[in-house]
Amino acid sequence: MMFETLLFFAFSAVLVGAAFGVILARNPVYSALLLVLCFFNSAVIWLMLDAEFLGIVLVLVYVGAVMVLFLFVVMMLDVNLEELRKGLAGYWPIAAVVAGLMVFAILDVVVVKHLGGVSLGAAPPLPADYSNTRVLGEALFTRYAYPAQIAAVILLVASIAAIVLTLRHRPGVKPQNVGEQVRVSAKDRVRLVKMAPEKRP
Amino acid sequence: MLDQYLPILIFMGLAAVLGLALFTIGWFAGPRRPDAQKLSPYECGFEAFEDARMRFDVRYYLVAIIFVVFDLEIAFFFPWAVSLRETGTFGLLAMLVFALLLVVALVYDYRKGALEWD
Amino acid sequence: MNAFSVAAFNSGLTLATPEIFLGLAGCGILLLDLLIGDERRHWTAALSIAALLITAVLAAGVEVSGPVTALGGMFLVDAMSQALKVVALVIVAVVFVYSIEYMRHRGILKGEYFVLGLFATLGILVLISAASLVTVYLGLELLSLCLYAMVAFDRDSGRAAESAIKFFVLGSLASGTLLYGMSIIYGVTGSLELGTIAAAVQGGLATNIGLLFGIAFLIVAIGFKFGAVPFHMWIPDVYEGSPTCVTLFVGSAPKIAAFALAMRLLVDGLGGAHVDWGQMLVVLSVLSMAVGNVVAIAQTNLKRMLGYSTISHVGYILLGILAGTSQGYQSAMFYTITYVIVAAGSFGMILLLSRHGFEADRIEDFKGLNARSPWFAGMMAIFMFSLAGLPPFIGFWAKLGVIQAVLGINAVWLAVVAVLFSVVGAFYYLRVVKMMYFDEPVDAARIDGSPLMRAVLSANALLVLLLGIAPGALLVVCAHALP
Repeated sequence: MMFETLLFFAFSAVLVGAAFGVILARNPVYSALLLVLCFFNSAVIWLMLDAEFLGIVLVLVYVGAVMVLFLFVVMMLDVNLEELRKGLAGYWPIAAVVAGLMVFAILDVVVVKHLGGVSLGAAPPLPADYSNTRVLGEALFTRYAYPAQIAAVILLVASIAAIVLTLRHRPGVKPQNVGEQVRVSAKDRVRLVKMAPEKRP
Repeated sequence: MLDQYLPILIFMGLAAVLGLALFTIGWFAGPRRPDAQKLSPYECGFEAFEDARMRFDVRYYLVAIIFVVFDLEIAFFFPWAVSLRETGTFGLLAMLVFALLLVVALVYDYRKGALEWD
Repeated sequence: MNAFSVAAFNSGLTLATPEIFLGLAGCGILLLDLLIGDERRHWTAALSIAALLITAVLAAGVEVSGPVTALGGMFLVDAMSQALKVVALVIVAVVFVYSIEYMRHRGILKGEYFVLGLFATLGILVLISAASLVTVYLGLELLSLCLYAMVAFDRDSGRAAESAIKFFVLGSLASGTLLYGMSIIYGVTGSLELGTIAAAVQGGLATNIGLLFGIAFLIVAIGFKFGAVPFHMWIPDVYEGSPTCVTLFVGSAPKIAAFALAMRLLVDGLGGAHVDWGQMLVVLSVLSMAVGNVVAIAQTNLKRMLGYSTISHVGYILLGILAGTSQGYQSAMFYTITYVIVAAGSFGMILLLSRHGFEADRIEDFKGLNARSPWFAGMMAIFMFSLAGLPPFIGFWAKLGVIQAVLGINAVWLAVVAVLFSVVGAFYYLRVVKMMYFDEPVDAARIDGSPLMRAVLSANALLVLLLGIAPGALLVVCAHALP
């Protein structure tokens, strides 16, 4: 127990540090990489809460795919962050108020336990063969089958939208068409012409 | 459950220690005598023409987002496969509809030529 | 949370026939569109319109007696959902009719506009029929994602791209706020299902501070999706920057979705906490009426002016909701439906006057319209009078309804504010009418537009007039929907 608590604090400390790094790093690529570190640490914390599948998905989807996308976007935009940052410091009072409110709300929940609400009691101990993935699958493909289908439609829309917004066919490109290359036969390329011999003038 | 992950924790610890160690050794043991010339960006003897970071083509973005879409689909497949014994025919059919919607996406991507790099 | 049964799920599928059909139609049209050439793109439009109308018939045909949940408790059909679905589907069909010519002139007549529109409509339907926080969120996301893409649809327009980015960033922020609020409400009530949440709130959670936090976040998100002040910043830019056919889309059917979002979350889920969210809505409502009506006066761009006009009308819709009585909800629903009909027509007029290389989106472009086409000047006048809330047009009954609703809860000062700002608002609508009838035309081009578009637009305007003379039928529908 003690060891797990220690681990939790270690990973949380790295998480918070990396999160600060994300917003403070001058180079957006560093920010993106630090965000990867954040995701990774959150995944570990999820793991420690017995939410195995969510932790793995966080690494698989966010670190593996979404962050790659982020990096592409960061590199594609080619923005000069220093220019954008000009005048940003003027907003700090508002930011401080918002951040203070958030911290207050979270402390209220965690320390004061002031929020109350319906108590579902302590979570029952998990059975020995408990599999987070299986339980999630059961919920997702029975009770939540309808939301899962809507999620599929959203994914479909995402790929349509991405293509509509970014795909451009460049005119004048001459790509290699392997199929045609294979299908070609000698008679398409070489024409044998029979002709009478000609006399040299 | 968590003790199954102990090897990974040990591995992470080793990786961290090794990484830090190599860095520190390099820092202390290597000769470091920087001067202005050594620290300036090097581009075949000229002054640097432009920023080292170039703009990426928007096509990378398209590839990445299509990858994200199908990666998320995979994320739905894992729990489905593990729980198929419990969800039975209903789960199978639910996944069939789910997968067909993404087949539509795949056909669309393919016919639009989004899977080709010109 | 009752146990899940496959048989119950399958029998519930018949209730979701409209959604299933629309989803299938969207996929089918997407694939068909791949096969046809650019010159036959209007087929995609025709098929999409047909699909919407068939779905509307299906939605009207679903037989329910009282609210029924289905599909694992995620889906709800009641009289309100049926009425809203039919209106949303028909409005989107009308929007598509108006859009075809405009897109053809600009070379952006692409199948994806219609397919994204269909999926956006599917999102609206999902949202209207949501019985759980999960489906509320997913429906809203489906709708928003399609809208973001549609705003940036004209890829060569920098302004469209700019407004799409603004829309997307602010919209994502609102979605995040919504999720945060939902997670707090889940934490406090222990359920995602609106019915269970309502029971928990009735059971003594109404004054719970945590619930209050959650509600505040939900209100922010609802305010954003409606475009209520102070969460309105995206509306003028998006309305002005996107292609007019997309402005038309964004400005019409999604308002029904926003109304459904507010009704499902605030009334179905948190009805017991009306005291809390009612006060928050008062602020949004008064600010929206004030800012919308006053700033609209200063606009020279008609799309932008109609954007601010939307903001002010949202203030009136919120008046009905904040009353918290069934009379108030009915009047808000009536207001939403009539506003959407009128807004579709007004943007349709801009589309009618626009042509190749000419947007017709400045107010001056309507100068002397009466000399060019008395018929369509009359139509535009009907829309403007209705937006201004003059009798005998439909907008008058809508405003009357919400004002009666706030009088019903003895909030006389709110009624006074509403009347005051509707007088201010009348100014800029009547200015358009004045320009059409008393100014010299600056533009002499013939008014084009396909016969179909002219017919539908005329029908749209005549409907506004007809409903204004005889609002009884629609009032009955709203009364039946929200008893």
